Amino acid sequence: MADLIALVLLLAITAYSTAGGVDFGAGIWDLLAGTSSRGRQARALIDHAMAPVWEVNNVWLVLSVVLCWTAFPSLFEVTFSSLYPLFTVALLGLILRGAFFAFRHVADDARSHRIADVVFGVSSLLTPFFFAASLGAIASGRVGSGSALEASFNPMTVAFGVVSVAATAFSGASFLVGDARRYAAPEMVAYFQRRVVAAGAALIATGTGALIVIASQVPSLLRSMLTGPGLPFALLTMVLTPVVMALAWRGIFRWYRISTVAAVGSLVFAWGFAQAPYLLPGQLTIAQAIAPPATQTVLLLVTAALVLLGVPAMGVLYYLDQRSTLESPEA
Amino acid sequence: MDALLGLAGESALLPSRIQMAFTLATHVLLVPLGVAFPTLTLVMEGIGIARNDPVALRIARRWSVVMAVQFAVGAVTGTILSFEFGILWPRLMGRFGAALGLGFAIEGLAFFLEAIFIGIYLYGWKRLAPKTHFLLGLVLPPSGVLGTFAVLSANSFMNTPGGITVHEGRVIDIDAAAALFTESIGYEFWHFMIALYMTAGFAVASVYAVAWLRGRRDHYQRLAFAVPFTIAAALTPVQLVVGDLSARGLVEDQPAKFAAMEVTWTTRDHNPEVIGGLIDDSGQIHFGVVVPELDSLLVGYSTNAVIRGLSSFPAASRPTIVEANITHLAFDVMVGLGVAGAALASSYFWVLARRRRLPEGAWFYRLGAWAGVGCYVAVEMGWITTEVGRQPWIVYGLMRVSDAVTDAPASYVWTMLATLVVVYALLASFFATLLLRLAARWRREDLAPEEGAPYGPRPERLEARG
Repeated sequence: MADLIALVLLLAITAYSTAGGVDFGAGIWDLLAGTSSRGRQARALIDHAMAPVWEVNNVWLVLSVVLCWTAFPSLFEVTFSSLYPLFTVALLGLILRGAFFAFRHVADDARSHRIADVVFGVSSLLTPFFFAASLGAIASGRVGSGSALEASFNPMTVAFGVVSVAATAFSGASFLVGDARRYAAPEMVAYFQRRVVAAGAALIATGTGALIVIASQVPSLLRSMLTGPGLPFALLTMVLTPVVMALAWRGIFRWYRISTVAAVGSLVFAWGFAQAPYLLPGQLTIAQAIAPPATQTVLLLVTAALVLLGVPAMGVLYYLDQRSTLESPEA
Repeated sequence: MDALLGLAGESALLPSRIQMAFTLATHVLLVPLGVAFPTLTLVMEGIGIARNDPVALRIARRWSVVMAVQFAVGAVTGTILSFEFGILWPRLMGRFGAALGLGFAIEGLAFFLEAIFIGIYLYGWKRLAPKTHFLLGLVLPPSGVLGTFAVLSANSFMNTPGGITVHEGRVIDIDAAAALFTESIGYEFWHFMIALYMTAGFAVASVYAVAWLRGRRDHYQRLAFAVPFTIAAALTPVQLVVGDLSARGLVEDQPAKFAAMEVTWTTRDHNPEVIGGLIDDSGQIHFGVVVPELDSLLVGYSTNAVIRGLSSFPAASRPTIVEANITHLAFDVMVGLGVAGAALASSYFWVLARRRRLPEGAWFYRLGAWAGVGCYVAVEMGWITTEVGRQPWIVYGLMRVSDAVTDAPASYVWTMLATLVVVYALLASFFATLLLRLAARWRREDLAPEEGAPYGPRPERLEARG
């Protein structure tokens, strides 16, 4: 049962990485769009794509945090005691991003618009970097053994952070291709197709770099990733990322979004499975940290309720999103 | 390396407490509308469908947008709170997370459902038949209730912990039901739930009370005032009773908190009720009105009822004098506002019953406008009463606030606090501007107010901003 709960936690983190990643990625492209007329068009598309899901992905983040402290209290205590600097920056990015996205819609003059755009874009970059950095810190094995600074800032945290920025840019571009198609904006479709390829290349490059860092810092993790339980997921990422790039390059608009999600999700899974059964490598296992049985039961019940109620509800929402509008009741 | 960067130093207790108080106080302001606004909106929509009244439907549709915007802001401030538990109070969760987390896990579920169903509600205005739309909306009120229960369950665990077996400082076994339903959950839940509905009702009505005062008095304004105001006014007398029961519950469950609320220094019978006023460290009361015997009478229905005083607790296990005074004044303000609200509610129902129409005096609407503000103040005061009154404990009798605090240096937390204050001020100003823009836009046109709102459907065409 403990392993199952650890899997649920990993799934929640993955959901945030993929769904939130799409969101943050859009913010990164917003930052890179520049002020040309095409850049403005891209920014308008990003605005329209993001408005409905403004801050909705926080659901996954909150679920991950809550699951962590309820199911693995000692993991939570140690992690936050060591990594508070990383979480603080990520959190700050999160608020600024939400606030300035809203502000873009109420700003009056061009200068405030520009400020809002920059703050929104930069915070879209910072938040995924620092959240992923915290996972890198955990993987480095320094959480709970070194000082807060050593745990928070080392080659592993940087490597994970950089990969996550590439991954979010990749997800963002891929989904923006879909949004552009939906709004029948062919120019924007091509614009983001090119960016899928570029971000995919960046993801492969940074991913390779991260493997080298892992090899030098935590060889045991690399071994487990390439020969142990992490392998299928590592392979999946390595195969799917070029597949998505090829689909985007050739303009084949089928399966590209689901493959993007699978590629990024596998990345998280590769780390999680490679590290299991350790929550903190070499220090704390799932079995050591797990909360008493009654808590586990409640958590699984809550998870079941989430799946049974949440999935059909999301289905309804998706159906409504696809469905054309009826006559307006007020018309 | 820490010392090198000037990061070592004193404990971060003070800035952590201030930061938690600040962020919670802000989040609490968003909770009433977050939990209770969906119900008001659904009542309005129900009226619209039942009476075939397009005006009621238009009100409900606009309210749903405000509901979504404010839910999104609450999602941000709520996310920050969840991280603060780790950044500021890692030991609280390290030790009690397995029990305290039960409520939060349920809250996570409720939050998830609310987010999706607000989306469905907003999308559904143009895409569903009215009745289907209404029925799907009915998921929202129970989700709000579930979330409120869950958070209060965690809070009442902190006030009256139960359901855990502690061995050498570690929670080794948990009785989930007992940990979720601790001693104080009954009154905490009902007291807060009613407070949320009252606040949402009075707050929404106050907007239209101002409109009335400015001379806008058509069917739209009257309906939008009457529905929320009636709901809130009907709950006000109930709240007086429930509030009284809550205070009574504290006499047994958290006597030190009760002693602080009433600034009772020595344990005694014939205890007077102190209204306003301050206590000093020798137990003397300054200022304020002292009503002889009343506290004993209220608590035990007899002037012989014995009330435990602050001095009967070890000094290190009870609120300090400053904390006791804060608790006492906050409590008095809350009760005072509750009584004022009840008076306003009675005058409203008096007119309604006698003349079968809404009151028409400007004074009534002036007070009605203030009732919204008053409710928010009362919610804050009630929250201060329960949190400050629990000091120095974070989990009553089991863990002190000072034992839960982070090892991070004080300078770090002070910096984080200062940054958060600035960012929250920005957030508040954007939020207010956004709401004012919405109101202005609605006065011009509103074919589909939900388009482009958070959780709402996408606009149909792609338009670049200016």
